[in-house]
Amino acid sequence: MRESTLQLINIAMIMALLLTLPVHFAMQAFLGVGGYTQALAYNTVADRYQTLITITLLTVLLAAASYHGLYGLRRILLEFKSGPTWDRLVSAGTLAAGLVILGWGLRTIVVMGWGI
Amino acid sequence: MGQETVTVERAKAKRELNPVSWLFRKPMNLEKLALAAQRVSGLGMLVYLTFHIFVIGSVASGADVWRSVMSTFSNPFADIGDLLMIAGAAFHAVNGVRVLLLELTPLTGRPARPDYPYKAQSLGTGQRSIIYAAIFMAVLALVIATYYIWGH
Repeated sequence: MRESTLQLINIAMIMALLLTLPVHFAMQAFLGVGGYTQALAYNTVADRYQTLITITLLTVLLAAASYHGLYGLRRILLEFKSGPTWDRLVSAGTLAAGLVILGWGLRTIVVMGWGI
Repeated sequence: MGQETVTVERAKAKRELNPVSWLFRKPMNLEKLALAAQRVSGLGMLVYLTFHIFVIGSVASGADVWRSVMSTFSNPFADIGDLLMIAGAAFHAVNGVRVLLLELTPLTGRPARPDYPYKAQSLGTGQRSIIYAAIFMAVLALVIATYYIWGH
């Protein structure tokens, strides 16, 4: 994929993060809960995977945070060294890490949301 | 002799291009420190995200496993980790918006001849204000999060 396309996707992910992360933080403190302790109770956490709006929020947040984070890591690592082998190694490594994080996060959403 | 000079020059260039040694080289300015803080906070949050995804994943194993995992993280060190992450996220977000504006709008200062003491021309009042706003938001987020985690 072209570098400019990756950068454009990154900007879209930043916008998604700016919208979803403050809501996610608020949900741990005062939005729909009585406080931080209640936000971490099993029933509260489990309930978040039962409504479409919170499932959508968590999925968007997961995809955006993992893409933005690993894209940033890739850019830092590419500054340390140059060359096609290093480029391929870093790109493949960050892609693999992204698939693991995304896969595990989606597994939690699917198992909790659909009881699979 | 000539070969040695080339090798030394290459080693010097490599050192200067290294993103870690670059940080400690002069001149130092607010923009450079903001970039360093942006990267440190970003890497910190990436580490947090990785742990977070796997810790939250334990909810799928049932209530008992969840409570056991939560009791493991029910200590002041984990709380400090949460607080640092929230402050880092606030700084990273506001400073990130500054970087986006820098790339997509004419927020960059006017080009000028690089005279001593070589002040960064790109660091105008607008940008400087956003960096201070990022620091303020990080402190504010830290205070609010401390209230919700420890004082509520």
